[in-house]
Amino acid sequence: MDKEEQRQFFQDTIERNKGILLKVARAYCPNNEDRQDLLQEIMIQIWQSIHKYDDQYKMSTWLYRISLNVAISFYRKNTTRIKNITQYNEQFVLITDEEITENEQNLNFLEQFISELRELEKALMLLYLEDKSHTDIAEILGISVSNVGTKIGRIKEKLKTRFSQIKS
Amino acid sequence: MNEQEIKKLWQSASEKWEESLIISKQNQKDISSIQVYNLLASMKPIKIFTLLVGILWVGIGGIVLTNIFLFAFEDANKFFLFSAGIQVALTAIGIIIYLYQLIAIYQIDITEPILQTQKRIAKLKSSTLWVTRILILQLPVWTTFWWNDSMFQSWELWQWFIVLIFTVSFTFTSLWLFFNIKFENREKEWFKLIFNGKEWTPLMQSLELLEQIEEYTHPDKTDTQPVSHS
Repeated sequence: MDKEEQRQFFQDTIERNKGILLKVARAYCPNNEDRQDLLQEIMIQIWQSIHKYDDQYKMSTWLYRISLNVAISFYRKNTTRIKNITQYNEQFVLITDEEITENEQNLNFLEQFISELRELEKALMLLYLEDKSHTDIAEILGISVSNVGTKIGRIKEKLKTRFSQIKS
Repeated sequence: MNEQEIKKLWQSASEKWEESLIISKQNQKDISSIQVYNLLASMKPIKIFTLLVGILWVGIGGIVLTNIFLFAFEDANKFFLFSAGIQVALTAIGIIIYLYQLIAIYQIDITEPILQTQKRIAKLKSSTLWVTRILILQLPVWTTFWWNDSMFQSWELWQWFIVLIFTVSFTFTSLWLFFNIKFENREKEWFKLIFNGKEWTPLMQSLELLEQIEEYTHPDKTDTQPVSHS
């Protein structure tokens, strides 16, 4: 690919897969300002890696790898700020409890749950919610398929407990 | 809520988020005009400055000391010569490890699976512990470089006592820290005290991430055995 083709490929890739970038950014940055920075950083890294793209991988696998790798590294730089925002979100959820619909409330709880997970659990949770197969998850994370099963089992258990706590 | 309901909730929310996200064409064009990263450009000026000072120190120190060793060994103060030699050699090792880290971090491929990439990044960052350990070994030679032959002839016992208190305690402290600054001790109070502060945050976070990675790569081992990364 020459430079112009690379540019076109990059722009098409971003346009078609912006959902992946956004979901990763949301999971790792509850704060909107940080999220914009993270999205920008992910796009820069995709551009910087575009020449390495190998079409033997699914595009989504390749993009998840870059986005999650950037998010995990980026997230670590902003841990303190994110902790503060998380606390704020908790208060927000409590105050507006009665004003929002049940679905919105559940989504808030789900996002709250994700924000409390550690970096690698967040990645796993995200891929699980996206309904990725265990093989795809194993390929993105770089662990065995059986290990994916075990880890997802644990995270589902955590999620179930959390939701039942909230409901009670 | 059951599993399917949760997934459905997430997916319908995702669709809404995606619809609302507009990435401007201009922004994409701007990004695609960015050149490939340059290692020097990505480093903070203070780090470049520290590195240059370190290289100059080792370079000049190395030339001066080599000349003394080769041409004026007989007349030279051996305490100064060996203390300075050890100091310069340890600083040189520290700089080499630091340079290796910088180059290796720069070469990391973020298109590889998450655990492999993150493990490499975290291990490299945590190898800063090695630089710290090696530089700490310099402590005792700062107490001996000014010693000279006349001290042995004219000094009283109390003078030796004071000097040796410093040398022995510095030697003990540096050896103790050299052997104890390691991943396994990251939860100890003295460790947190030393590595407290903004400068050390990436290191401490890397150690924490290594622990998470270990849980994923050796799920059975982490419950019972400590891991070694120092």
